[in-house]
Amino acid sequence: MTEPNHNEDWPLHAYADGEIAGPEGRALDERLADDPEARAKVEAWRRQKAWLKEAFDPVLDEPVPAQIKAALRHRRGFTLSPWAVAAALALLIIGAGAGWFANLQVSAPQAKQFADLAIEAHEIYTHENRHAVEVAASDGEHLTTWLSKRIGQKLVVPDLSARGYTFMGGRLLAAGAQPAAQLMYEDQGKRRITIFVAANASNKETAFLVTQKDNVTACYWLDGPLGFVIAGETGREDIVSLAHLVYQSFEM
Amino acid sequence: MNFRADLTAELPYLRRFARALTGDPALADDLVQDCVERALVKSHLYDPTRPLRAWLYAVLRNIHISGLRRERRAGIVKTVDDLSDPEVMLKPTQEGETLLLQVASALDRLPDQQREVMILVALEDMSYRDVAEITGVPVGTVMSRLSRARGALRELIGEGAKPSLRRVK
Repeated sequence: MTEPNHNEDWPLHAYADGEIAGPEGRALDERLADDPEARAKVEAWRRQKAWLKEAFDPVLDEPVPAQIKAALRHRRGFTLSPWAVAAALALLIIGAGAGWFANLQVSAPQAKQFADLAIEAHEIYTHENRHAVEVAASDGEHLTTWLSKRIGQKLVVPDLSARGYTFMGGRLLAAGAQPAAQLMYEDQGKRRITIFVAANASNKETAFLVTQKDNVTACYWLDGPLGFVIAGETGREDIVSLAHLVYQSFEM
Repeated sequence: MNFRADLTAELPYLRRFARALTGDPALADDLVQDCVERALVKSHLYDPTRPLRAWLYAVLRNIHISGLRRERRAGIVKTVDDLSDPEVMLKPTQEGETLLLQVASALDRLPDQQREVMILVALEDMSYRDVAEITGVPVGTVMSRLSRARGALRELIGEGAKPSLRRVK
């Protein structure tokens, strides 16, 4: 077939694709009635359409693979309204530990194990002065690339500056047999908090859970591929609201 | 939560689009998975006055194209030899199946820009305006790519031979 004059065929394409209706469409109906060549073109294109549908429409009836459904579940998006956050926070403060979160797992041994490890690491490293972190915040990009690679998931450094915390840097930890990351922050009064992140093999989700050991309060949760703990020598309310900031950073 | 429900309803269409775009079931589902993840993260960018499907197709297409770019940078480029699909020549089991394989193979041989327009218009029944928006080019460009794609397909497949295979009136 030689290259046709595309411009001349455009109304025919538009007609074949249902883009033309009304009087213009009726005019084309008439033209086609007297023009076998144009009619053949339109028919050929519609046939191509039918073939494509025949070839690919069966995909529509296939069950959606589990990996795709999982992707739909484990990211919660931006749909939490401020009210929902406030309500969740209130519930958490009143009811954490009381098993109020019916649809979320409250007993999560993996999460608790992370929390214990994170608190331990918090106590060890926040008391270091010169060697508090392995890689300093000044080398932030290297740090996130390196830790993301070791954890096997993309990590971000949550910005907690709105709450007066400056990012100091981070280090790699051993969480049992698997690598974990510790990110450390400090406020002007030299109070330090740490965020612990490790891959969550169970891929489960939990609510925000709170635990306390010595002076350290920790809020921990599992969110699909990652498990988180935020720990500091501060109150429960404070740590939970920081946890929200961390949670949101990882939603971005 | 509506967004998530609407997105769920679009999954079969996203899979069909991705399958036609890549011609590879596993690759297509990876693409859909990436698309779902990105759509959830970027849901605030979706304008609810516009059709969700078109927006999702644009997201999926962009991921696909950046993947192609990455492949090209990494030196994985389809060579001319890859373009003639041996399957079409080796396993013509049934007449009908041969034609469908031929369609898939011919689609795969179109230049990327023509293929996506052809898929969006002919398979997905998108309006020219939506296709222009998804692919980021003027409607005139959509039409000329479509016209070229149809010409090329006609040359590659012909008229589809046997009358029994013509399922259109």
